[in-house]
Amino acid sequence: MDGFTTVLDPVYLLYALFGVFVGTAVGVLPGIGPAMTIALLLPLTYSMEPTAAIIVFAGIYYGGMYGGSTTSILLNTPGESASIVTALEGNKMARAGRGAAALATAAIGSFVAGSLATVALTFVAPFVARLAVQLGEPDYFALMVVAFVTVSALLGSSVPRGLASLSLGLFLGLVGTDTLTGQQRFTFGVPNLADGIDVVVVAVGLFAVGEALYVGSRMRHGPVEVIPVEKGRRAWMKRDDWRRSWKPWLRGAAIGFPVGTIPAGGADVATFLSYAAERRLAGKERRKQFGRGAIEGVAGPEAANNAAASGVLVPLLTLGLPTTATAAIILVAFQSYAIQPGPLLLVNESALVWALVASLYIGNVMLLVLNLPLVGMWVKVLRIPRHHLYAGILLFGALGSYALNFSPVDVLLLVLVGLAGFLMRRYGYPVAPMVVGMILGPMAEDRLRRSLAISQGDLSYLVTSPFAAAAYAAIAVVLVAGLWLRRRERTTGARV
Amino acid sequence: MKGDAGTSEPPVATDESRTAARPERRWGELVLAAVVTALGGYVLTTAGSIVVPGSTNTLGPRAFPYLVGVMLAGIGVVLAVLVLRGRAGQQEEGEDVDPEVRTDWLAVGLLVAALVVHVFAINVIGWPFAAALLFAAAAVVLGARPWWRAALIGLVLGLVIQVVFGGVLGLSLPAGPLLEGVPFLRG
Repeated sequence: MDGFTTVLDPVYLLYALFGVFVGTAVGVLPGIGPAMTIALLLPLTYSMEPTAAIIVFAGIYYGGMYGGSTTSILLNTPGESASIVTALEGNKMARAGRGAAALATAAIGSFVAGSLATVALTFVAPFVARLAVQLGEPDYFALMVVAFVTVSALLGSSVPRGLASLSLGLFLGLVGTDTLTGQQRFTFGVPNLADGIDVVVVAVGLFAVGEALYVGSRMRHGPVEVIPVEKGRRAWMKRDDWRRSWKPWLRGAAIGFPVGTIPAGGADVATFLSYAAERRLAGKERRKQFGRGAIEGVAGPEAANNAAASGVLVPLLTLGLPTTATAAIILVAFQSYAIQPGPLLLVNESALVWALVASLYIGNVMLLVLNLPLVGMWVKVLRIPRHHLYAGILLFGALGSYALNFSPVDVLLLVLVGLAGFLMRRYGYPVAPMVVGMILGPMAEDRLRRSLAISQGDLSYLVTSPFAAAAYAAIAVVLVAGLWLRRRERTTGARV
Repeated sequence: MKGDAGTSEPPVATDESRTAARPERRWGELVLAAVVTALGGYVLTTAGSIVVPGSTNTLGPRAFPYLVGVMLAGIGVVLAVLVLRGRAGQQEEGEDVDPEVRTDWLAVGLLVAALVVHVFAINVIGWPFAAALLFAAAAVVLGARPWWRAALIGLVLGLVIQVVFGGVLGLSLPAGPLLEGVPFLRG
């Protein structure tokens, strides 16, 4: 409850509003997913105090998610993966003149599911944190291995390419000074590299610069096609739409939150599961509408998407374990304030955590209030000429890395990473595992070496704890289930 | 199901044909796989020269690099084999990406050049002008016409960001010799 008293302070409310607004505005921009939104907006918070920064981030996180769905409903072309199913149905609805209803069911569904999931987060997080305190070094190492495997196998279309991306990230994580012995590794004699490569540079380089270069290499020319949204009550959700939406919202929340909490691919998997569930549960008549603009196909996945976004925060806050690229970048943001998420976070920084949770509730309300009337403005944002958009992305990316240390070396590094990001996109290497590998790699190495120091080199110590053994067994299960889901995803995509 | 190893024809003639068919794409993929392998080799060879202090017990600072090196080299080889057998990567899709267009390498090169010029211009002409330069150059490369409008937008954007981030948020962006004396621009 203390969190609410913090957040209800007018200054913090203003910060929350600012975060939600900026997050949505940037998230609406095509080509910018939630991960890039947060990476690009990091410099905004460099000079803020931690509580304000965290509140702004909560807003940006939800706002970015929400903005993405607006883009996929109103633009003609496929967007970020978490909202592809929304694009499938929502886009068809918009073309049939039901864009306002699609946007409304997405917004209200996000609100309902986001609120439910935040309630779940409020109760689940302390419980998980209490369990997590009892985990030992090998257990943490096992958890990180789980995250490595699932992230690289599930975030992307090709498992070997995901693993390559992960390994490249692990390598980048090695650069710098070894924490346990103080030895320099792979610094190439460059003094700036002794402290390691800044994760922000890599995240912004891969997501922002890499994307801008990739789009620049094969730009879609010609005018931007935005589907017009009818104004007025007649185009809005009718009674029938409400009747068809409320169950998918609740089901989406029920699917999204648990999927978000386990390292199984995050929001993407949740949205597809929800879509498949709605399709199956729809009656014979309704099923025919799927693929032609079924409102259930927007309501369910959008709710699942937002619920998963809250679910992802459970392992992030209680274990310090990012399970998606977006979560990895939030972890970086926390670390830049010397806040280390983990089992002790809820004890040591409880005021901050509850302020974050409270601002998620508030951000949800604000999003609903902001977005329903502001659709017209977001449509204008969608029309920004592409050459200005990507020039702006490059500029903000450069600003973000320059402002880290005010050193040109960081920006040069950014260019190199950006080129790598361009090549990876071009040849189908997912970039998210690289970011996760870079952040989790040093942590995993630490845990591994501590474990083996405790066991005096006995490797079996890594698997003898029941938790670690269960985690390794879970890898097998998650992999099989996850790959099966991916295959289903693809067949669902192919059928429609 | 799969075609002969090494032929230039794609094994499956669905929409992969436009991506897998171009031989230069396969070369690019092979080069990337080779770079990954080479990086793995580099890590493996240099990991041995990391200094191990005498006090280290069991796992020292070399072990994890060896593991990463093995992963990189192994996956690099696997990828090269996959590409040779015709299993090309799926290029990423995006709202503003036209899959039918050939890669415009010139645009990529010019964008990178604009970024590099921006980096070195910051300390000479100040951040706002370096920013304007980057924005204008990138926008023109991406197709903005006329060029002076992009330059104007860039200049306004650079100055606004300088005021907001430098003046209001307190980020110490160098204003440059021209604007040094303006109080609200300083961080």
